[in-house]
Amino acid sequence: MEMLGLYPVFYFPNYGSAWLMGLTGTIHIMASHTSVGAGLLFAFLAHKAYKEDRPELYDYMKRYGMFLLIFSYVIGSITGPGIWYTATAASPRGISALIHNFVWVWATEWVFFIYEVIGVFALIYFIDKVDRKTHLKLTYTFAIASVGTLALIIGIISFMMWPGNDAYYNTGSASDAFFGVNTFPHMFLRIGFMIMMSGIIGMIISSSMKKENLSLSKELTQKMGIVSLLGGFLTLLSFMWYIMTLPVNAHAILGITLDSIIMNRIILSILFSVYFGIAIFKPQWISRTLAITMMFVIGIAGVWPGEKLRESMRKPYVAGQYIYSNNIISRDVPGKGIKNEVPLLAANGYLKMDPWVPTRLRTITPENKLEVGKMLVTRACSNCHSLEKYGSYRPMMGLVGKIAQDEAGIKSYIKNVIGTGSSPYMPKIALPDEEYDAMAAWIATQAK
Amino acid sequence: MDATFINLMRDPAGVPFFPVVFQGLYILTWALHAAFVLLALGALGLSLYGSTKQKTDSNWKIFNPHLIMTGKISVSMLILLGIAPLLFTQVIYDSGWYVANTLSGAFVFIFVYALIAGYMMYYWYSSANKKSNGGTLIGLISFVILVFCGILMHNFAVESISPDKWQEWYAPNGVIDNSGLNFHIDIIRLAFMVSLTIPVVGIFMQNYSDFLSTRKDFSSEYLTFVKNLGTKLAVVGLLISAVLFVVWMLQVGLLFHPVVLATIVSVVILLLLAMRNKNSYVTTGILVVVALFISGVRELIRYNIMSGLGYDLYGYPMNLEWETIIMFLLTFVILGFTGIAFILTMAWKIGKREGVFDASKDVAVTRLANVTLAIFVIWIVVYFAWGMVALFKNTL
Repeated sequence: MEMLGLYPVFYFPNYGSAWLMGLTGTIHIMASHTSVGAGLLFAFLAHKAYKEDRPELYDYMKRYGMFLLIFSYVIGSITGPGIWYTATAASPRGISALIHNFVWVWATEWVFFIYEVIGVFALIYFIDKVDRKTHLKLTYTFAIASVGTLALIIGIISFMMWPGNDAYYNTGSASDAFFGVNTFPHMFLRIGFMIMMSGIIGMIISSSMKKENLSLSKELTQKMGIVSLLGGFLTLLSFMWYIMTLPVNAHAILGITLDSIIMNRIILSILFSVYFGIAIFKPQWISRTLAITMMFVIGIAGVWPGEKLRESMRKPYVAGQYIYSNNIISRDVPGKGIKNEVPLLAANGYLKMDPWVPTRLRTITPENKLEVGKMLVTRACSNCHSLEKYGSYRPMMGLVGKIAQDEAGIKSYIKNVIGTGSSPYMPKIALPDEEYDAMAAWIATQAK
Repeated sequence: MDATFINLMRDPAGVPFFPVVFQGLYILTWALHAAFVLLALGALGLSLYGSTKQKTDSNWKIFNPHLIMTGKISVSMLILLGIAPLLFTQVIYDSGWYVANTLSGAFVFIFVYALIAGYMMYYWYSSANKKSNGGTLIGLISFVILVFCGILMHNFAVESISPDKWQEWYAPNGVIDNSGLNFHIDIIRLAFMVSLTIPVVGIFMQNYSDFLSTRKDFSSEYLTFVKNLGTKLAVVGLLISAVLFVVWMLQVGLLFHPVVLATIVSVVILLLLAMRNKNSYVTTGILVVVALFISGVRELIRYNIMSGLGYDLYGYPMNLEWETIIMFLLTFVILGFTGIAFILTMAWKIGKREGVFDASKDVAVTRLANVTLAIFVIWIVVYFAWGMVALFKNTL
């Protein structure tokens, strides 16, 4: 019998491996969004400095650039591949699906990335070493290259949510997968956030220039306030557009938390608007300490919940609505010759289909039942749930306690709810009865 | 472990182009990545010695900041250039790479954050050195962390080519270990790779000296000092590397393979050129050839191991993907080459003179700048047009 192409399971205690990806992703988004936004801002500033002959703006760009180089490019360029790495460890088949669909898109992004990183060194270190007209052209190309990196990655991460129509499943074409219904709303949502972040970082630099040049500091803080406000407004509008392009399963998750999301967004919008308003109307009130604090507040309050929501809304899938978060292929993709694995697993179970099961655990005995149960739960559930009783991230044992009180109840829930695919945000885990027994037995011992 | 098991893990979507193309791209891009890894570690390592000398030695006082800057930019370049081989290896050797990443999942996470910490500390070291010629301890910590990152990457590579041990590593004695803490190194292979940092930084110093020889603000005594030291490092380093390479090849039983023999010949040529010290740019050209051969030898070892188990790399099911490969090729060749030519030509001309370089009066740079800008604009227009057509076709 042919087995499934599964990989070993890596599990990070108390959190689960997917959480590591979320953490790296959040840091990367802060850094990369700032860098793309700053690319656009640099083009604007360089244009202004050149056309209006204002050399003092070059000093500002140089300072901003050094911050950008250290903060955005060091952290961004490492955490970008870092997401990839941690995603590989957490969901090897999910990342493999993306790689095998989009390898040339990623390779194209790599070309842009090379230009961008070499460009940022040139942009900063050559400010005083090359004529301003040529430098201006460099900033223009740098800005487009930065947007280009976003334009290329956005189709891939939008596909992770869903392509939005059946074209990809029938043709298998990367183009049909890439330009899905939420690719463009997602792109403008992120461009808005990038512009906002660039203004927020810009305020850190402008507010620290007060002693040397108060009027320039005030002028730039005002401009950064306007930039941030416009970016924030674009983010909000695009977020509403983006929400309209999500799949049914995402709306199911969204429905549960919609009220708190709306409240959260209203509070954040008011808070951010007040801050940007102060920057515009009372720029002298913006100190460097306040600007740094607000960068972290806006970054953490804006990015972490947003990315967590995006990850939750994607459930039960991890890529293209054909791979479950537990790495099982959940539908046919005729265009690529991919077959649904759920029926195979239902008929034969993990113990026969998982190539990584040690020989001594392939048959359940009274002695190894709990060990098999733990192995199966780790394989089927640990991508989304921490398995410890007081685990920090979607703790399974805590959730079980709310649903069932004993082994029979746990088995009934796994078999009749999860096993039938009745939960909109959980993968359908249909297995032979004895595997449910082993899983329920182990969960019951842990949930006590 | 046999091919059935390895083939099972191949992605059901197949590869989007001929596997041999990915293999070639892997060899090419790994060589470039490795060159900057070696230069970064070599420059940082040597600068630590330099930072103990720069307060009393006028040559080191000039050279050390340049060495630190070289290492700093090289770290960025190695990260950039590391993305491509990482991408291509996952396409054709996905089973090996993903197994290694899950067996050592905890180290994957540690690697990412160690690299951030090591690189941030490098900036700290650079800043401290600029301000007060200090920061040696920070530099040393940064160096140790970055070497540790290199060892972790070596660990992933070793695990990915050890399919006969995967199951034992995942479930030692039949007990599953999900901790992701597997760690396995091949000491000879690792020692050889690390030893290459010495000749690479040596040859870089010869380049540096030749490049600045047209500048009046650098004395000939200083440039001779750098060049001679570079030659010593290149020669001694190459001899050490050559011995380790032969031991490694004996270990894997490939000493008399044609690719290995060609590598040895190219190393001898490189050694002679480095000793003669006439034209360092030619020496660098041969260094690139040597790097490509070493990359080729690594691939040969992997290919032999995997095909020995029956893994048919060239028989990987294929789903040709014309639209995106055309996008990549056009972007890589037209936009990539023109854009990089623009920045590098400008950088070369800036470095060759003192004061401000008026590139607007330089025909080549101005033309390159204009063409690069035009290509970028056209690229964005095509992207949106393509996206709209695809979207309307599939949704209306």
